[in-house]
Amino acid sequence: MYIRSIVFGVLAFGLIGIAASSAQDNRNLLASKESLYNNIYVYEDPPYVSMTFGHNRRIYTESMYNTHDDRDLPVDYTRFMTTSLMYAKDVHSILEIGFGGGRTAWYLHRFLPNVPVTSVELDPAVLELAKKYFGIKEEPNFQVVNRDGRLFLSESKDHYDVILIDAYRGPFVPFHLLTKEFYQIVKDHLAEGGVVAQNVEPSTMLFDSAVKTINSVFPQIDFYKASGNIVTIAYDGAERKPEDLAAVAADRDKAYGLRYHLTDMLAERRRIEIDGGQVIDPSAKVLTDDFAPVEALKNIERHNRKLP
Amino acid sequence: MTPPSRALAFTIYLCAFVVGGVLMGFEMLGSRYLFPYFGGGIGTWASLISTVLCALAIGYFAGSAIVALYPTQKTIAVAILIAAAYLAFVPATADGAMQYILDNLGDGAPATLVASTALLLVPLTLLGTFSPIAVSLLTHSTEQAGRVAGLVYGVSTIGNVVGTLLTTFTLIPAFGSRAITYIFAFTLAACAALLFVPSVRRA
Repeated sequence: MYIRSIVFGVLAFGLIGIAASSAQDNRNLLASKESLYNNIYVYEDPPYVSMTFGHNRRIYTESMYNTHDDRDLPVDYTRFMTTSLMYAKDVHSILEIGFGGGRTAWYLHRFLPNVPVTSVELDPAVLELAKKYFGIKEEPNFQVVNRDGRLFLSESKDHYDVILIDAYRGPFVPFHLLTKEFYQIVKDHLAEGGVVAQNVEPSTMLFDSAVKTINSVFPQIDFYKASGNIVTIAYDGAERKPEDLAAVAADRDKAYGLRYHLTDMLAERRRIEIDGGQVIDPSAKVLTDDFAPVEALKNIERHNRKLP
Repeated sequence: MTPPSRALAFTIYLCAFVVGGVLMGFEMLGSRYLFPYFGGGIGTWASLISTVLCALAIGYFAGSAIVALYPTQKTIAVAILIAAAYLAFVPATADGAMQYILDNLGDGAPATLVASTALLLVPLTLLGTFSPIAVSLLTHSTEQAGRVAGLVYGVSTIGNVVGTLLTTFTLIPAFGSRAITYIFAFTLAACAALLFVPSVRRA
């Protein structure tokens, strides 16, 4: 009896081992690291290096870096995160929450070298790998902080013109970065005329709740569809007129020499009636520190509701 | 050692199950109170789990000492009632306490441990005294001691499992953390009431 259970136990472990190793794919694995928060894999597929977080047998790509060109943004949504530049009244300081491989932050740093860019990353192992494989260096006006994003903001006395939020960890969404209280903290750290860009995954009901939650703090949200993801641009005050945005976009494209033209991306701008019930589920609830069932919402697929 | 009535034995096992459920349910809920202030990492979970186990260890030791002095169902009823009262105060006071700890100790391991201690230690220690006293109430001969202890811990551990799963997959998606805390407080108070009633009747 005991011997049999030991045999089965060994067999079971063996199978788990095989399943785990078959989760790897064919690209060349440069590094893997088990951190406090993630199982991180860095793959090479020249000229690209990508950072992925493994979870069971699925691999989630967090960041992609073109080793021949550090201003390339191969992942669509990261380009659209930069549309925030045409909304901000001024661009004197930029904060990013969720550094990952640091592509968006580095792109902004390279094209706006005089603007301080700060990025906050929870996982020290992610930072270490980003410095080793993703061409990230500490430079004047470019700072990476190892901290929980919400804690960093709560304690910060600074104000930012642009705040970028991209703090997914594989399939996991930290609930305390998706609540009304969190967005209020974000808003309190915006400079006048500041703007918040966020990457949101739109296939589950969590999208509906996230949009409603952002909207409970910011009256305006513009949407940009970026193959598989949605980038939301949230701001205070009245809706920005397309012609005003176009004028700022043209100015800043020229001033900064941006590779991904704001003017082009502006064409993808969408507005939706958030309370109309057509796109966003009317039963979706605003998430709070008290009530934020992000895991449960993430398990409910969105049905029959057209995306913006 | 007089054998307990069947009704009393049933009440004690039922309470062992419910107390076990609330105990783990509140640990899961602890994460919702702590994450907004101290981050959602493995460090916060380590603090929560170690605090719960410390509370249980203290509770077991305290329970074994109390058994010698006041081995009555009233004793466990009082312990559960105080735990219920503590829980009832948590929703209104937790945010202030967490902010205070964050402002004074930062967000490192010591701060997270202090925060989970403030939240969990008192009520879970009180609940931890339940099992040893329950074993002593249900045992009426030395031969039975092992069997009774096994049953009480088995029932209470099933309660732990149910509490963990029910809280995570049913309560948190349906209610706010504060509302769930009140539900737990009320449930514990109901257990305490159940334990008080038959002792009154017998007297």
